[in-house]
Amino acid sequence: MSVKELYRGIYELDIDDRKMLASKNIMPGLSVYGERLIVDDGIEYRQWDPSRSKLGAMLLKNFEIPIEPDSVVLYLGAASGTTVSHVSDILTDGLVYAVEFSPRTMRELIQLCEQRPNIIPILADANKPQSYAHIVEKVDVIFQDVAQPNQAEIAAINSKYFLDEQGQLLLSIKSRSIDTTASPKKIFKEEVRKLESDFDIEFEVLQRKELDPFHEDHLGLVARMFVDEE
Amino acid sequence: MEFTTWFGKLQLDAEGELEDYSLFDKNPQKLAVLAVELQENVQSVPLKRPDLREAALESGFVELDEDYDILLRDVCIRAAKSQISQTDTDDSRIIQAVEALDDIDKNVNELSERLFEWYGRYFPELDMTGEKLARFVSAYGSRANVPEDHELFEKSSQSMGAEISFADEELLRALANNICSLYDTRRYIENYINTSMGSVAPNLCNITGASLAARLMSMAGSLQKLAAFPSSTVQVIGANRALFKHLRSRAPSPKHGIIFNNPVIKNAPWWQRGKIARTLASKISLAARTDFYSGELEPSIKEALEKKLEHIRSTNPNPPRREPKPQSKGKGGKKTHRGKRKGGKR
Repeated sequence: MSVKELYRGIYELDIDDRKMLASKNIMPGLSVYGERLIVDDGIEYRQWDPSRSKLGAMLLKNFEIPIEPDSVVLYLGAASGTTVSHVSDILTDGLVYAVEFSPRTMRELIQLCEQRPNIIPILADANKPQSYAHIVEKVDVIFQDVAQPNQAEIAAINSKYFLDEQGQLLLSIKSRSIDTTASPKKIFKEEVRKLESDFDIEFEVLQRKELDPFHEDHLGLVARMFVDEE
Repeated sequence: MEFTTWFGKLQLDAEGELEDYSLFDKNPQKLAVLAVELQENVQSVPLKRPDLREAALESGFVELDEDYDILLRDVCIRAAKSQISQTDTDDSRIIQAVEALDDIDKNVNELSERLFEWYGRYFPELDMTGEKLARFVSAYGSRANVPEDHELFEKSSQSMGAEISFADEELLRALANNICSLYDTRRYIENYINTSMGSVAPNLCNITGASLAARLMSMAGSLQKLAAFPSSTVQVIGANRALFKHLRSRAPSPKHGIIFNNPVIKNAPWWQRGKIARTLASKISLAARTDFYSGELEPSIKEALEKKLEHIRSTNPNPPRREPKPQSKGKGGKKTHRGKRKGGKR
């Protein structure tokens, strides 16, 4: 077995010629959603399933992921915390604000938050950043995975309130929650155009790629706010 | 300009710099209550504002970075927990009940069929299914136990069925008892839905009856969501497959979803059903909105519905001539769809 560090805190394990994505478990012995725990050289890793995590899929699609161990991340659409748990693994010295709208899934997320010291749960609607502006500080990264028809707008308003000028936006756009019948390619193009010019802050898209075969009809996207250089 | 954070009130100047502050009590439970309040009464947030963490350190609310994390985490977990416990509302309880009803129906049908097959080996002449069969097996077990004065005594004594062993009889009885108790539970749940729907959504019940009203609510997700739906959506809730087939291909649009179960549509002749479904859906929307926002019974909705239905019936007494095929009940869509694809290949 060999271990290769892809980014800080993100590893590629090679077990009998089968490669898998993993993060270093900050709570050794605890598996969050039934994922495999692998111990190598005294360090425990948690397998990261890219078909259950948009961020995992983005990593395997060679995105430049700007999350550092001391980053502060705003995670919109945390669901029951599958991906959040891996982000929490990476952030050994950072913090993730996990926003989720559904009380049903928040029930599971809270149990994760109680296990891990670096996740702050927020039960709120990502459409209304003002409703959690009293909690969230300036963040280095916004990761967004919400199944809403106005995904670009949600990303823009949250960036406006919370994203640091140097920060980056990671976005997973699900075409089916915008229009189930139109072609995904068209929708992606339209969403990127919206991000670049529709809102009062503009974004510069650094990288974009579809997330198949891990997630169908999803576009992964990394962007940063467009700042005028005086 | 004032901006309230989870740890205190900040006074900001025009540039968003911290001018003055008053801090809250450093009690996690109290802070959690405040945080939930702040979330519910959304304040206007200045874009230029100090970073929360820096302000908390500067004002002396916490001394170290780590303290900020620990306290904030504690407060947010408490806040989210209290928000979750507030989500158990009347309509969410009814929705659980409706779903339990569906689960019971599914399971009780399967178990009843199994009992029918199994018990049939020992008493094939018994002409019973469902609850009746379960009650019979639960009462007598083996057909040898049917008393002489029972109407089935003759049938049971001359049955071609095999002899049942004691062990099998006990098993079948236990299965039958369980099925009976599921039927009982089903009745309790139905009663519960009928009584509580009357108080949660009196108008909706008045228009559609309690069980359909509860089902509509369960499919919409909550009374609030049902009230927010346009009535065209209400009309086709429960016809998802037909609706998406219509949107994707050339299939005809569905005329009715779950509301078909209402007798006014079910018992109507086919050519009136579309019109009636539209009218009914529009009144359901009105009723749901009245229920959600006022909660008072408004008999005029039902009266208006009756009037409109009467109008539809009297103006469309005969089937229209133009359509040659009377069974255009969604199945036509399938044909069009297939025909189109075949046409493409040729």
